[in-house]
Amino acid sequence: MRFAVDTGGTFTDLVVEDDSGICRLYKAATTPHDPVAGMLDALTVAADAAGRSLPDFLAGGSTLLHGTTHAINAIITGRTARTALLTTLGHGDILVLREGGRAETFNFTHEFPEPYIPRSLTFEVPERVMADGSVRHGLDEQAVLSQIEQLKEKSVEAVAVCLLWSIVNPAHELRIGELLEKHLPGIPFTLSHRLNPAIREFRRASSAAVDASLKPMIARYMSDLERRLRDAGFRGRVLIVTSQAGVIDAADAAQAPIHIVNSGPSMAPIAGRYYAAIDSSAADTIIADTGGTTYDVSIVRKGNIPTTRETWIGPRYRGIMLGFPWVDVKSVGAGGGSIASIDGGGLLRVGPASAGAVPGPASYGRGGTHATVTDAAVALGHIDPAYFLGGAMTLDAEAARQAVERDVARPGQLPVAEAADAVLTIATENMVQAILDITVKQGIDPREAVLIGGGGAAGLNSVRIARRLGCRTLIIPETGPALSAAGALMSELKAEYHAAQVAHSDSFDHEAVNATLAALARRAKAFAAGPGAGAMETTISFKADARYATEVWEIEVPLRDGAIADADALLEFVEDFHRTHEMLFSFRDEGSLIEVVGWTASVTCRLSERKDLRLASPAGIKEKWVRNAWFAGVGWAETTVYRFETLKAGERINGPAIVENDYTTVIVDPGASAERRPSGSLVIDVGQQ
Amino acid sequence: MDLVTLALLNNRFEGVARKMANTLLRTGRSGVLNIARDFSCCIVTADAQLLVANEGLPIHVLSGPDIMAKFMKEYCPDLKAGDAFINNSPYHGCSHAADHTILVPIVDDAGRHRFTVLAKAHQADIGNSIPTTYHGAARDVYEEGALIFPSVRVQENYRTNQDFVRMCRMRIRVPDQWWGDFLAALGAARIGEQEIRAMAAEVGWDALEAFSREWLDYSEKRMIDALRALPSGRASRVSRHDPFPGTPDDGIPVTVHVVVDAEAARISVDLTENMDCLPCGLNLSEACTRTAAMVGIFNSIDHSVPKNAGSFRRIDLKLRENCVVGVPRHPTSCSVATTNVADRVANPVQCAIAEIAESKGMAECGAVIPPSVAVISGIHPRDGKPFINQVFLGMTGGAGSPDADAWLTIGHVGNAGMCNLDSIELDELRQPLYVASRRLLPDTEGAGEHVGAPSIAVEFGPVGCDISVGYVSDGVVNAALGTRGGGRGGPANQYLIKEDGSREPLPSCAQVDVADGQLVLSISAGGGGYGDPKSRPADKVARDVRLGRITAERARAVYGVALGMDGSIEPEETARLRAAA
Repeated sequence: MRFAVDTGGTFTDLVVEDDSGICRLYKAATTPHDPVAGMLDALTVAADAAGRSLPDFLAGGSTLLHGTTHAINAIITGRTARTALLTTLGHGDILVLREGGRAETFNFTHEFPEPYIPRSLTFEVPERVMADGSVRHGLDEQAVLSQIEQLKEKSVEAVAVCLLWSIVNPAHELRIGELLEKHLPGIPFTLSHRLNPAIREFRRASSAAVDASLKPMIARYMSDLERRLRDAGFRGRVLIVTSQAGVIDAADAAQAPIHIVNSGPSMAPIAGRYYAAIDSSAADTIIADTGGTTYDVSIVRKGNIPTTRETWIGPRYRGIMLGFPWVDVKSVGAGGGSIASIDGGGLLRVGPASAGAVPGPASYGRGGTHATVTDAAVALGHIDPAYFLGGAMTLDAEAARQAVERDVARPGQLPVAEAADAVLTIATENMVQAILDITVKQGIDPREAVLIGGGGAAGLNSVRIARRLGCRTLIIPETGPALSAAGALMSELKAEYHAAQVAHSDSFDHEAVNATLAALARRAKAFAAGPGAGAMETTISFKADARYATEVWEIEVPLRDGAIADADALLEFVEDFHRTHEMLFSFRDEGSLIEVVGWTASVTCRLSERKDLRLASPAGIKEKWVRNAWFAGVGWAETTVYRFETLKAGERINGPAIVENDYTTVIVDPGASAERRPSGSLVIDVGQQ
Repeated sequence: MDLVTLALLNNRFEGVARKMANTLLRTGRSGVLNIARDFSCCIVTADAQLLVANEGLPIHVLSGPDIMAKFMKEYCPDLKAGDAFINNSPYHGCSHAADHTILVPIVDDAGRHRFTVLAKAHQADIGNSIPTTYHGAARDVYEEGALIFPSVRVQENYRTNQDFVRMCRMRIRVPDQWWGDFLAALGAARIGEQEIRAMAAEVGWDALEAFSREWLDYSEKRMIDALRALPSGRASRVSRHDPFPGTPDDGIPVTVHVVVDAEAARISVDLTENMDCLPCGLNLSEACTRTAAMVGIFNSIDHSVPKNAGSFRRIDLKLRENCVVGVPRHPTSCSVATTNVADRVANPVQCAIAEIAESKGMAECGAVIPPSVAVISGIHPRDGKPFINQVFLGMTGGAGSPDADAWLTIGHVGNAGMCNLDSIELDELRQPLYVASRRLLPDTEGAGEHVGAPSIAVEFGPVGCDISVGYVSDGVVNAALGTRGGGRGGPANQYLIKEDGSREPLPSCAQVDVADGQLVLSISAGGGGYGDPKSRPADKVARDVRLGRITAERARAVYGVALGMDGSIEPEETARLRAAA
């Protein structure tokens, strides 16, 4: 038996998978000050449902996979360790200056963001390494020792070290590490070249700063988590979901907590990849995870989940840029809580302002008064007010209708139903633009891709989104409402090793590159033999970060092999680069020099057997009934509502129709048709409007 | 048109501009393009009105695309699908010669011209007589030396005219880099064309044109509301550009008269009381004159008003021919039109609005272009090949606003912080360069309730070769002014640091040869402050001291805040100092 626990902002989702692959979903309220308590609550609910005691239930578990927002929440709320930065003399403003750039050109209401580590805790170390690795100024150890004394005086709890060109010659960073270990024992530190050996000093410094600042608390969290699970009776392995769509042991997460910062959204694409492979034949997949306030879009390109180093926590240019790769996710403020309004010029806007969970949409009756996307869906009869979250909450349909009438229908001079429909149309467009942004960036044509809807609110407008994108097929997996937790069950143990080494296609040093790749391969193999021991399957792959020499941004190019052995292999690599570049940007430049700035080895170890993941169906539930709902071109009509779980594989239903279960509502618009698949998914041919 | 379709199509047009910009950003070759983001993409209507632009450099798009589209139609009345034009002529709507602009007319299947899409990108080199795209000392366009393209057809039937390509390759110092950037801009324009064609296939050309009309009307309505939120009034301000070769000894004073008429919901800027064009590269093109004045306006009002021909209807600009901030006549040089004197137009406009309306407007941003943002060139010792590129090692210059302290890395007012800051490692990898230090300078912020940005000092030099460094650094004599009681920002400056460590001042507008072992010390201009420094909350002043932004002496003398040895505020002494003011 395996457990997957996704600790979200409001709910802790638990998926329990038994040995035959049957899954059950449970939810408990998240306990922000002690997330482990919320996890144990959810496990207790599951044990109760199974009619067993918690220790007895947990003893049957082999693995617990955990996705957590603990690290990112600590960063956002500033509850990280008091951290100092040591950097090269002359460059103490490295974190203050960031990388420049700004959004909203004419908006001067925002303050310039604070650096992650204040200038008063940043120290300039006399030393300088040059681009070729030569030492221009040797390390002044006396200066470092006196800075360590200041760190003590300032009660620093963690230290980040980032020196210029440490990626080429790490001697100075390593020596500072030794001095810290000796003279500042017990204080965790992070050396930038070890954590993130990538060119661009700001990003490396930022990664090191965030990593160091998380070390004390994540170490505490991981040991507390493992101890309390053991005390409760769990004897299996605890694995933590990483930002790179893999899992690592809890102890490893404590060593380099930066790996788990974006634990939350990185699992959805793994689940999406799984369902796309069994339910469609499209090469590319778009996964859209709809929450109450954010809409997260990720993609799978020909089986691979692309990562990015443009990793912002908070708004672009104003938030914190980690500079550490994570799964490329485009998040926009759009969801069930997005507020609709008509501005002074008469234009309908939906979001980015959100009513959130509190006070929430007008129909929640918790004090919210603004018309939201959820209210629009209630006003159209798409959401059953009596059966929201499986009846856990009753919505006020009249409040929804009134809010839509007051905020949209009257100022826009529209009937209420048309106004509500307009709100969904604009919300759809906002979501579509988010999808277009990431697909353009990753070189995917959405018309050739399949769309997967995850999250409880995905079903409300996913058919519309697919139509607007030109996607023919929409998949709503049965585990869709807990897509991330389901993804965790499919994830693999994963590690990446990176080395910065510059190489040019016209003067390629095969020996040096292959020595680097061999060193990376050794580290990957050591991982496979260590944490990955006993895996069902182990894969090691290599890639290069490369660009046309005059470009600024690198792209990832997979290597065919763990070496670029000779001139022919180089020719193949060059061709692979051109092809990848063309796929992403639709052009190649044969005449241009290619520059590689870094090399990566990835190792993945599959720890469990592949099984079909199916949800257990509750017994004795009603199969279908009717509800009055409004659709464009149809108007108000008695609409058939089907219970998701009771639809048989191969059964086809035509829109307009509604498919519901305890966690979600799927709208099958007029012109669309849906079919349940043996996988459990609802596959929708979105048809024509 | 119903309000849903209006909102929907606006979203989609903005999506097209964004997609064009993303394409250009990710495929461009020059640092000026993909680091400084010195490019823009926009869509204009068939009758040459700006409809929507990407969120790019402000100085690039507000005016200019409209004029270029007009010339394209005038010179080539029978536009065909597959045509593309290049325009970099400051006499034909382009900002300055370095901004190669690709125009693609979108012609429907019936042969009717429906829209024009533009992609404008600053080039690494344009074949000037010296290796820089900012030739401040050029007496005229002949001395400037760039190839000028006054709306020249470069594609027909989607095929590129190779005659034009050969000409550029013979004249431009880094032909491959130029060719890459040309392809990137052309690609972006063609993507815009494809996307608009796809939209038309869905909703019809007439619906798109109906949308254009209504969107411009909507934008005008928003502008009316924004102007009615201001009090009526008038103010005049002068901002002075430093003396450069070819200017009078006391530089170029730029006088702006701004009138807000809230009732009529109109705003006017009169620039006619300024000197004639000068025998140097600092003159503004018409596009830059208009745009700079509008940047000052849009920086000062509700930022959510759409910037297009609709909102522009409420703006009256009075310009004069042959004026340094007006409409230049050929062969006046406008080589540096997008930065130096343009900033001296935008800055006083936003200060004037601040004087007319409390909690509106802004202080002056710092001037540019210091050596830390120079075009550097030389022979790379690695392969013996020439290199030329603009580096972006540091410029600050942000101005205090009514709502916030300065955005530190604003660059200059016409850039609005869009420019990225170079990674030192990336610059040192790309060029034979050594960047010894990059630091903010204390006590250089424009004091105020909301402070301006401090100056940044950058020391850099060549490694294993000599380099040539070209820059046009305004703000050495005339620092950025504050407004509503705010103080001025730190001045710019530059020095050569010799092998023995001695310092030698460098001129403001120069092409300097720097030998191996020498360093350039570049100091960027700080930004002006907004409001009385003595109204700045004392805890913020204490924090500025703690972070090393200002000294305790300045906190006391300028902000009236007394701090103890431990940096804590001494309330009584502070109250006394502030009351004395």
